[in-house]
Amino acid sequence: MNFNLILQQLLNGISLGGVYALMAVGFGLIFNVLKFSNFSHGGVVTISAYFGYFMSQYVFPNFVITFILTAIFGGFLGVLIEKLIFRPIRLKGAPLTLFLVNSITAAMLVQQFFAVMWGDNYYPYPEFIKETAIHMGEFTISKIYLLMLSISAFVLLVLGYIIKKTKIGIALRAVSSDIRTPSLMGINIDFVISMAFFFAGVLGGVTGYLLGMAFTVDPFIGSMIIKGIVAAIIGGMGSLGGGVIAGLILGVAESLLIAEIGASLTPIVVYASIILLLLIRPEGISGKTYIVKA
Amino acid sequence: MFYLKVLEITSLYTILVLGVYLMTGLTGLFSLGQGGFVSIGAYTAAIAFMKFNLPFPVALIMAVVMGAVLGFLIGIPTLRLRRDYFLLITFGLGEMVRAALLYLSQLTGGALGMAGMPRMVGLPLILISIIFITFILYSLKRSRFGRNCVAVRDDEMAASMMGINVYAQKMKVFIISSAITAYGGALYAFNILFIEPNLFNWLESGRLIIITFVGGLNSIAGVIVASAIYYSFGEFFRFIDVWRDVLLGVVVILVVIFRPGGLFQGLELLPKKLIEKVKRERL
Amino acid sequence: MSILKIDSVSKYFGGVAAVVDFSMIQDENEITGIIGPNGAGKTTVFNLITGVYSMDNGRIFFMNKDITESPAHKRTEAGISRTFQNIRLFKNLNVLDNMKVACGWKVRYSLWEEMIRLPRVIREEREIDEKARHFLEYLGLTQYTDQKPNNLPYGIQRRLELARTLIAEPKLLLLDEPAAGLNPREVVSLMGMINKLQQDYKLSIIIVEHHMELIMKICSLIHVLDFGKKIAEGKPEDIKKNELVLHAYLGDEG
Repeated sequence: MNFNLILQQLLNGISLGGVYALMAVGFGLIFNVLKFSNFSHGGVVTISAYFGYFMSQYVFPNFVITFILTAIFGGFLGVLIEKLIFRPIRLKGAPLTLFLVNSITAAMLVQQFFAVMWGDNYYPYPEFIKETAIHMGEFTISKIYLLMLSISAFVLLVLGYIIKKTKIGIALRAVSSDIRTPSLMGINIDFVISMAFFFAGVLGGVTGYLLGMAFTVDPFIGSMIIKGIVAAIIGGMGSLGGGVIAGLILGVAESLLIAEIGASLTPIVVYASIILLLLIRPEGISGKTYIVKA
Repeated sequence: MFYLKVLEITSLYTILVLGVYLMTGLTGLFSLGQGGFVSIGAYTAAIAFMKFNLPFPVALIMAVVMGAVLGFLIGIPTLRLRRDYFLLITFGLGEMVRAALLYLSQLTGGALGMAGMPRMVGLPLILISIIFITFILYSLKRSRFGRNCVAVRDDEMAASMMGINVYAQKMKVFIISSAITAYGGALYAFNILFIEPNLFNWLESGRLIIITFVGGLNSIAGVIVASAIYYSFGEFFRFIDVWRDVLLGVVVILVVIFRPGGLFQGLELLPKKLIEKVKRERL
Repeated sequence: MSILKIDSVSKYFGGVAAVVDFSMIQDENEITGIIGPNGAGKTTVFNLITGVYSMDNGRIFFMNKDITESPAHKRTEAGISRTFQNIRLFKNLNVLDNMKVACGWKVRYSLWEEMIRLPRVIREEREIDEKARHFLEYLGLTQYTDQKPNNLPYGIQRRLELARTLIAEPKLLLLDEPAAGLNPREVVSLMGMINKLQQDYKLSIIIVEHHMELIMKICSLIHVLDFGKKIAEGKPEDIKKNELVLHAYLGDEG
């Protein structure tokens, strides 16, 4: 591999990794609060990708407006999903397994629904950017990838600020470390959980829009969530920062591997390394562990 | 003839559901990679038979052994950790198997899949298998092994205080489940006569889990009935077939919210138990 | 004769000391109490003895064997049984099966025999059934045999946990706040019950409890923990008079 190609793949990898990071964080937000693996996040991504497509194709052919609309739409979608399928069982004190079943079911439901309705076609987003690449000598940078990277970074920074500095962020962290006690301190748990789903949903919306824009929209776009989940594992479940770093690493590793050993062998190598990683360092890069309360 | 075909397909899938029942229903271990084990079973048997000219029974046994060995290997790093890791890694495993099957195209035919297997598996063998597997699962369920499974599902810490080696228990469960699933895959290959890498993706794995929950965690009978309804449904109502997963999804969410024990709760359809229940209700 | 020896054991959670340098010796056929304010590390001591947590320092000997490295289930097999502060019965198993689970490790049939339900399995299952019913009867729980534990009154659930420890035929019994949530009448009957089963089964018992009357009446030796450290050890009458203990419990005003 020559140096230029490596640099090229590195940049592509980081851009893709940014989207993986978005997914890892969206997944991690819910995992932190409710302690279950939220596969329905993939559903939010899929629906948002379609929403973004229809909005930009038929309503406003404007990138900024449709992007923001899709992000907000994703947020409310997250809240709605929580209200419909997770809140009823949470109020009953259902075990985590049922949350899991509902989240897997929701993911399946969304995928199959879109497969039936619009599954036989690929839907490309309108071309917002005319000149798709920037050329610098031998070096080409895809503008869409650049856009993806800057948007991911921006969204993650804003979220980081919200979690660290604002009141709702602090409440979110309090509920993440212990879901029972904060209610004694006057924090409205239902509201905080709704907010967690809102933020995760916004990330899902952004993810859906970016994926739809970079590739095309199809019902299986939500399956990309697996990359986010893998990043969340590598990062150490429950560590948002770890998820971001792991997302970037995964994106870069994938891009370089694809260039080096080909697209068919890459997933095998990636998954095998993750299984190995778990053997050596199960707590992921962040090293966060859980203590069983006796 | 049509009904026989429906019964055959439904029964094939029911074997897969039974494999998942032991692990997810009874023990609370969620795997989104069981589709991968179906593929492993199907391809192992098909390759052993077609490429290495091994006799069919040997091919079947190899499929089961492959399933068990793979289960063991995946279990080592994941079963000691929080259950989410197991779920997520098995999800990855399913994708990995798919990628591997595509990659090893010399052996597996790649994306074109494998065809041309002789029809070695008919309804009798499938039904006998179901009866045998159900018998084994029911035997396990009502002795030590089954009690340990439920204890591990309910509370791992308390289970270890009862002298249960939680890790070993989960490992045994996963190996048995994977072996059953791989066996189902092998039967599939020699009944449907066509297999390809995308046949059993994570969606199929998710479906197996979901059907288990509709039937009821504590009821083998419930799981069999739920599986039979789901898989024969599409055959009888072709016009609505494409919608059946959507329908299933809605049903599952309603069941989880309003009847979390599953449709059958803990009821097993045994003549003795049923008579007792009827008697009790009359009183 | 000592049955359990804890040798300067420590446990930290992310830098926070839960138990520091704790030592104790439990004699055979004695009832010992561990008391201390909330968060003093009492339950952590139980979790270290039973192997729920691994310890950061120190060693534990049970019947003169070093069990520091033994996994939790091996310690149960060696003869240590416990109850839990916030009852941990298996809610998807009925009362009888909750009992049976606790003696599963004594079963001699193998997994293969179990799969096809050989006569030996049926025979042993019948023995376990009888044993479980026997212990249910011993603690007066027969009428609940077929019920799910979640439907039972609190006091009955506590007693079921106690019955469940007995079926494993332990040598050392750890009771974690057995009187919590019981009314005064139930506490009196609990004290009688603990004394009775200690004598009937030649048990050594360690009790973690807030209920002072119970501790003072039935324990022959008491250890007092505060902030993970042992601040006193002695007979009930000495503990009652100990200044450090009064201070720990009542604070500065005391």
